Amino acid sequence: MTLVFDKLRKQYGQVVAIDDVTTSFAPGLIHGLIGPNGAGKSTLINMTAGSYSVSSGSIALDGKRLDTLKKYQIANSRVARTYQNIRLFDQMTVLENLEVCFYPADVGGTWKEVVWPPYASARREKRREKCMDILRFFDLQGYAETDAGSLPYGRQRMLEIARALVCEPRVLLLDEPAAGLNHHETAELTARLAAQRVPDRITIVVEHDMDLVMKLCDNIIVMHHGKLLFQGTPAEVQASPDVQLAYLGTANDIDEIRAAAQDRRAQLGIRARRRS
Amino acid sequence: MSVAETLTAAKPHSGRAISFLVFAIAIALIAASPFLPNYYVRVINSLLIYILLGIGLNIVIGYTGLLDLGFVAFYAVGAYSYALLASPQLDLHWPFLAILPVAACLGAATGILLGIPVLRLRGDYLAIVTLGFGEIIRIIINNLDWLTGGPKGIARLDKASILGIQVARPIDFFWLLLITVLVAGVLVWRLERSILGKAWAAIREDQDAARGIGINTTNAKLAAFATSATIGSIAGAIFAASQRFVSPESFTLQESVLIVLMIVIGGIGNILGIVAGAAILMLLPEVLREFAEWRILFLGLLMIFLIIVRPAGIVPRSFGPDKLIRRLFGK
Amino acid sequence: MLGSLIQQTVNALTIGSIYALIALGYTMVYGVLRMINFAHGEMFMLGAYVAFLVLSMLIGTVGAAGAIALAAAFVIAIFLVGVIGVGIERVAYKPLRNSTRLAPMLSSLGVSLSLVTGIQILAGPQPVAFPSFFPVVRYQVLGGTITSMQIGILIAAFALMFGLQFLVNRSRIGIIVRAVSESRPTAQLLGINVNGAISMVFFVGPLLGAAGGILYASYYGIMTPTMGAVIGLKAFTAAILGGIGSIPGAMLGAFILAFVEVGGTALLPVITHGMLGTEYRDVLSFAILILVLLIRPAGILGEAVSEESIVYKREF
Repeated sequence: MTLVFDKLRKQYGQVVAIDDVTTSFAPGLIHGLIGPNGAGKSTLINMTAGSYSVSSGSIALDGKRLDTLKKYQIANSRVARTYQNIRLFDQMTVLENLEVCFYPADVGGTWKEVVWPPYASARREKRREKCMDILRFFDLQGYAETDAGSLPYGRQRMLEIARALVCEPRVLLLDEPAAGLNHHETAELTARLAAQRVPDRITIVVEHDMDLVMKLCDNIIVMHHGKLLFQGTPAEVQASPDVQLAYLGTANDIDEIRAAAQDRRAQLGIRARRRS
Repeated sequence: MSVAETLTAAKPHSGRAISFLVFAIAIALIAASPFLPNYYVRVINSLLIYILLGIGLNIVIGYTGLLDLGFVAFYAVGAYSYALLASPQLDLHWPFLAILPVAACLGAATGILLGIPVLRLRGDYLAIVTLGFGEIIRIIINNLDWLTGGPKGIARLDKASILGIQVARPIDFFWLLLITVLVAGVLVWRLERSILGKAWAAIREDQDAARGIGINTTNAKLAAFATSATIGSIAGAIFAASQRFVSPESFTLQESVLIVLMIVIGGIGNILGIVAGAAILMLLPEVLREFAEWRILFLGLLMIFLIIVRPAGIVPRSFGPDKLIRRLFGK
Repeated sequence: MLGSLIQQTVNALTIGSIYALIALGYTMVYGVLRMINFAHGEMFMLGAYVAFLVLSMLIGTVGAAGAIALAAAFVIAIFLVGVIGVGIERVAYKPLRNSTRLAPMLSSLGVSLSLVTGIQILAGPQPVAFPSFFPVVRYQVLGGTITSMQIGILIAAFALMFGLQFLVNRSRIGIIVRAVSESRPTAQLLGINVNGAISMVFFVGPLLGAAGGILYASYYGIMTPTMGAVIGLKAFTAAILGGIGSIPGAMLGAFILAFVEVGGTALLPVITHGMLGTEYRDVLSFAILILVLLIRPAGILGEAVSEESIVYKREF
């Protein structure tokens, strides 16, 4: 039961965003995806969720290809995601935002819901129970009847994660869940995500907040220019000189940082010339 | 201050008083209808037809957030279904109750047929394609003389009868329409509250995020289109039976736009809003009899004004039937 | 045969150039605001009515409808409609710029309806005979008949289109409009006067549409308050056909549509053995619209807007 990327590639014309990435994600763990801006972290998430097409290679969950499916079919394979820029259903209530996730399971009973009120209320009750559970977990129960769009920013982030979790996904993709949150909120988020580490779930977090990544993740994948640079436990990543050079910037030697910066500038220069 | 503002903003008990007042007027109007002169019954009948059309189109525009400017095509499908199956035109004389399901199915089929190709398009193109589709249907009706009678239309439609009871006088149609509106209104309202209705709302809010939670948006939108077309078609069949005459003139683009106008003015996405919108649309020319030709100008300007100042319309989405019921009978 | 071919070609060019003038307005507005302006067909109609009004006022003061009076009426009328266009944008669309995508479209629908009924009330719903803006002389070219009116329309329309090309590609305001079309937020960040660019588009678009209306009314010798609806839809088809947002695309689409229409109208009864007559001409254009949207929604010269790029734009 794993998620496997096999020679996964994404190209926009001449620009290679993801360069033949091959890796696999074990269940029950939280995987951190880190790397500098433009390394291709979000692109990986978007390809897995079906928001972007795959140029070549494949993505498979339990041996079942995901990359050939449409976006809604991927979601129905129990792959859930959040977005870098929060995308809630603004003019629906918090509760409705979660309820609607049961559409794939419940849509078959729509006509019965329309003509037979007791069936409808039983169904609704069942859905609401599950939704309220997850709302309570995220301390949002007081907002159930509020429009999602009018929630404060931090709550919106929580709601989006709640929406991804409500149908108990097997793959949970979080695209910068802590972006824009304050210290206190980030700590809460870390605790909640840690509590959601269930045995058969693969969680992948793209995040810039290193504190969160190091505390939360069991396995960290470092990306650089569309390639896998390093993979290991938080301690291993922190100890790796490659990662320090490429990204973490914890190197004490100022010359090293300068060299790395020079290197980047050279690469950018090559890219700029290629474009023109 | 509008009625709805009073309803939503004022203290509960005064809001409740107004709810009761509106409710009482509606009941009184229904109770008084049998005793009104035929002219007024006819006005109320067209009010009910517009409400029915509004309930249908609102599924697509209000719930799902797709701008359909060719709705009148489905209305025409229903009207011509009745005209062809119950008139000397093809010498067919089916009973009304047999035609109704045929019209409904034809409407749904037309909706799906139009929907399959166009629902994949970006939302704003949909408006223009449906508009074109509405015009195509009208032009075809106008020119298919051997079948539709062309611009002259089809006259001498059969008198409708339901289970042996003749439905011919305006008041008969009043009861038929009232029942249809109530049934359609309740069903559609329940549909809105069902899981499919929630999916429609999600598509309206963010189609891509809706796909991201597993909604097959094409199917959900098709369902909206088909349901809406079915109701439009049923309205058309009843309209044809009550007029006992159909011609392409009843199915112009302007008619489609008027229904959109009615929904937007009344309160987009809310069945109660449609009733308010239809009332304004129908009662305005009665009030401004001398300025009848100013009606559409006024409505057009009112729509622009409302979209800018009060985009939710006269009765906002949040004040739905459930809230009205709670106001009237709840605590 | 050759004669009728030449004649039909000139007919198609004439109609195509009028479609092009209107299509440009749709495409420019879509370019800067991503909005379908349902009231644009009414700018076409207003052009004819305002020109008629201006001309009768000029004749009232000057006495006779000389060539100068006609030219002056043309210029004054299209300028006035341009100003009206800017005014409408300020009142009915500008307050909705940060609203839902549906809102400005609905508002433009209201504007369209109000303008049509407004003119119906002011000038009556019946068709009005429209004076010819060009002397009518018939020329025989290889057996086909071409009128001086057609030549005049072609010259006027092409002059306006070249003027627009110059404005967009060479002038400062053109660069600004193109920048806003590319990305409104970025343009705003760079301190570009976005409102000015949008006003410019709502001045030039209606101006060209009005010119199209005057030429059209002059060509057919008649104007009605509802003349903008169907032709507006066709011009919109042309804009989509060429690739909405693209200025050369709108012109190309307009000519393609006109040729298909003229050719189709001539051939349709022959191909279908008289089953489908010329009255299906409008059905043909709508069918083209639907086909284009299905096969190549980006149009001939438009940039492909896939869902992916929309997601991409939203996220960054």
